Amino acid sequence: MALPLTYNFRNVLVRWRATLATILGIGLVVAVFVLVQSLAIGLEKSAGNTGDPRNLMIVRKGSTAESTSQVSLAQFQIIRYWELIAHDAAGTPLVSADVVTLISQPRRDGRGEANVSVRGLTPVGMTLRPQVKLLTGRWFIPGKRELIVSRKIARRFAGFQVGESFRTAGNTLSVVGEFDGSNSAFDSELWMDADEARSLFDRQNYSSLLVRAANPEASREIINRIESDKRLPLLAEPEVKYYGDQTATALPIKILGNFLATAMSIGAVFAAMNTMYASVGSRTREIGTLRVLGFRRRTILAGFILEGALLAAIGGILGCLLALPLHGVSTGTMSFNSFSETVFEFRITPWLAVKGITFAIVVGVIGSLMPAIRASRLPVIAALKSL
Amino acid sequence: MAEPIVTIRELSKVYQQGEIQVMALDRITLDIAAGEFLALMGPSGSGKSTLLHIIAGVDRPTSGVCLVQGIEVTKLNESQLADWRNHNVGFIFQTFNLIPVLTAAENVELPLLLTRLNRAERRKQVETALEVVGLSDRAKHLPRQLSGGQEQRVAIARALVTDPALIVADEPTGNLDSHSAQEVLGALQALRKDAGKTIIMVTHDPKAAAFGTRQIHLEKGELSP
Amino acid sequence: MTTASFILKNAFRNKRRALLSVSSVAVSLFLLVTLQVALRELTLPPQSAGAELRVAVRNKISLTNPLPVRQRKIIEKVPGVEAVTPFTWFGGKYKNEEGMSFAQFAMDADKLQSVFGEAKMNVDGYEKFTAEKDACVLGKITADKYHLKVGDRITLDSTVYPGSLSFHIAGIYAGTPDDRNMLFRQDYLDESIGLPGYVGMWWLKVRSADDMVPVIQAINAAFQNTAAEVRAESERNFQLGFISMLGNIKTLIASISTVVVFTLVLVTASTMSMAVRERFRELAILKALGFQRRELFAFILAESFGLAGAGAIAGIGSAYLLYTFGDIGKMTAGIFVAFEVTPRIMGFAALVAALLGIASAVAPALSVARMSVVGGLKTLD
Repeated sequence: MALPLTYNFRNVLVRWRATLATILGIGLVVAVFVLVQSLAIGLEKSAGNTGDPRNLMIVRKGSTAESTSQVSLAQFQIIRYWELIAHDAAGTPLVSADVVTLISQPRRDGRGEANVSVRGLTPVGMTLRPQVKLLTGRWFIPGKRELIVSRKIARRFAGFQVGESFRTAGNTLSVVGEFDGSNSAFDSELWMDADEARSLFDRQNYSSLLVRAANPEASREIINRIESDKRLPLLAEPEVKYYGDQTATALPIKILGNFLATAMSIGAVFAAMNTMYASVGSRTREIGTLRVLGFRRRTILAGFILEGALLAAIGGILGCLLALPLHGVSTGTMSFNSFSETVFEFRITPWLAVKGITFAIVVGVIGSLMPAIRASRLPVIAALKSL
Repeated sequence: MAEPIVTIRELSKVYQQGEIQVMALDRITLDIAAGEFLALMGPSGSGKSTLLHIIAGVDRPTSGVCLVQGIEVTKLNESQLADWRNHNVGFIFQTFNLIPVLTAAENVELPLLLTRLNRAERRKQVETALEVVGLSDRAKHLPRQLSGGQEQRVAIARALVTDPALIVADEPTGNLDSHSAQEVLGALQALRKDAGKTIIMVTHDPKAAAFGTRQIHLEKGELSP
Repeated sequence: MTTASFILKNAFRNKRRALLSVSSVAVSLFLLVTLQVALRELTLPPQSAGAELRVAVRNKISLTNPLPVRQRKIIEKVPGVEAVTPFTWFGGKYKNEEGMSFAQFAMDADKLQSVFGEAKMNVDGYEKFTAEKDACVLGKITADKYHLKVGDRITLDSTVYPGSLSFHIAGIYAGTPDDRNMLFRQDYLDESIGLPGYVGMWWLKVRSADDMVPVIQAINAAFQNTAAEVRAESERNFQLGFISMLGNIKTLIASISTVVVFTLVLVTASTMSMAVRERFRELAILKALGFQRRELFAFILAESFGLAGAGAIAGIGSAYLLYTFGDIGKMTAGIFVAFEVTPRIMGFAALVAALLGIASAVAPALSVARMSVVGGLKTLD
């Protein structure tokens, strides 16, 4: 028979000062844990959220980033006329040859410069990427030195607001529109006309091709054909998979997160232990009374562990609440993959919250285990004599 | 004399205090009849609390026999003992030992949580027990909202709620003023008379002892008539 | 009995609590030191010897855009320039590994000593590097990691250029802040890949520190309004450019440090107050015996300082030992290499510990001040 839950719950409330400090301590640990993990999740989500399942990405075999990939004009022309490619209403093959390059631009806050991805693409390329939606301004006009900027990037760099312009490669580029990439990798890009980009950055070749296959069958066929054709040292992959694989950047964040979680949870266990030992110590007589009334050792043990878990669970919930305001806030860092600024959001998923609270409960249970054992081992007589 | 509820034969208890052995009880032999209100008297260190603890199953003797209702309590293991205490003994402490975070009714209900009774049955028993000690109107109060005498009466209700044959009380009036003490002793006396409970009470106060049906004295671990 | 021994007895009266308090302070300070070191390395990367005389020249558009070979002649003629070498990122993957575990750059073999003189290697290594086209030199950390030695061959698949290249190891160097890079010959790369006259960037060495600013200005001016404008900057600024690219990670670590310190103060202060509250009766007795308030404060303060100090020694000490003698490269999957625990950081952590000692004494001291002798004696009854 267990002790009534209210007994443990009210006891958690009674020692409220020490309890509050412990709850807050565990709460902060959980908040840090949740925030760091939410960054990793946000990063992975932006990578995993990119692309259209009907599209194929074609890059140079062996390249790891679009900006270092090369697809020649000749290769583009071969693939463009394959019957496996879907066509739009006007009969144009749905193939976009893009140029991706990096430009170094000053940050808005004045703290140095960082690389930003510029994608040169054609109207077909825009059709193939329905995730990108214009927010303000207008789309760029082919043949003009103008571009559109992701809103999240525009917030982070100088000269990227609609109506502003900036210099790169000896020329001036005007920002004519701002877009939203629906939390995809495109949120980290600037877009301009493909041919303008090639002449501006002196590029003979394209970086990648994005194609829409006529049907899933054709999609597999394109992948096979490129794989087996010796003239095409290229690699075709579903677009979704290509971006999904670009998540290596989350690794350092995960390492940081795991390190912090480990070290801080050790500290939190000590704190919980201290509180629970104090709780046991000041309740010696109470525990003795319960034993005299006929409660067994394991009931006392379970009761104290429950109390620790309860205390920690409150801390865990508090930690999640503390972290919550940062949900959806965008932040950015250099992707080691593309070598350019990647923006992403803190994403606190329900699953992460569950993980955070579970983590707290584990801390609470470990922290209360030894005090609980001590409580259950108190001899009945000694308990009665402690006045 | 009626059938003894407690039979004690040659009961000894030795404490090890560092190097020295302390003889707390020295071959005690005693019978306690059902329905008795026994006052166990003696100066501090006389062993009266130890004797009470052994009878109540919270301490173990070094040697000798202690039968309660024919059961050799000393032979039970920890868990059996806990169960046995729950069903057969009601305990009243000098310091009341109510759980501060629980209300009077919840404190009384505590031992019932170890039984198979359902919620409604438990509530009924709690009400009855509180009625017996005259505290039905204080059911929702926390211990700190009660006077000392009231707290002790809640403790008495807790002791009798499982309907044990035996109630043991360790200096139940030690922390009370004389008025409250009267109140508590009166309640104990009523329990014997009206419910036929056997009560063993440790006290060093002769006025309290006078409420008992029999007084025995312990001195240096031995019974003195 | 002395006052000191009384304090000591007090502090360790509840051994378990003392141990737990010291441990939680230690863990927190360990964490604090770690984060501070990480923050410092992200803000101020370790400086290599010779950095004050080195200039990096990259394409103004960005580091990833190449520079034409013809720039070399112009740069060499700038007064104050002692040596120039191309420096081209190869982006090679070793042995089917998922990512790049070490960087490789193509350069001029005969400029290694003049531009990157701090990379120490035996004479034989330099000779072979200059003599054989497919030679490469390898940083000691990487060589150790893959058990490579002089004379071995390694093949790398480039992620930047088509195909792969095979090298033989001419020497293994050490002495730079990050002995991980592999250097090989630009002419070998040009020949194998058929580069149409482009290199990644230029690194050069100036004659003296006074030449630094004029050289940088001259080079920047020389290529203004050409097809390939450049950004010349000191090695230091070049490195800081990398740091700037890391963006908000710095802010993140700084905020976490703050939260850690706050949590530490909170938890430890609460533990300490608990400890003191437990011996209220004792303090009341002391008061009854005639001890003054300030003496009681001193007792409390000495005790909390003692616990915080013990925690500081354990936490800072273990961080120092771990990061000075441990293999930090392995622990952080190569993100950090040096991870130097500086005296400044240790001092900062010690300061936090001292403040902690004071902060956790405040609450108990206040209640002791308010306590009356009688009240104190009653507390535990």
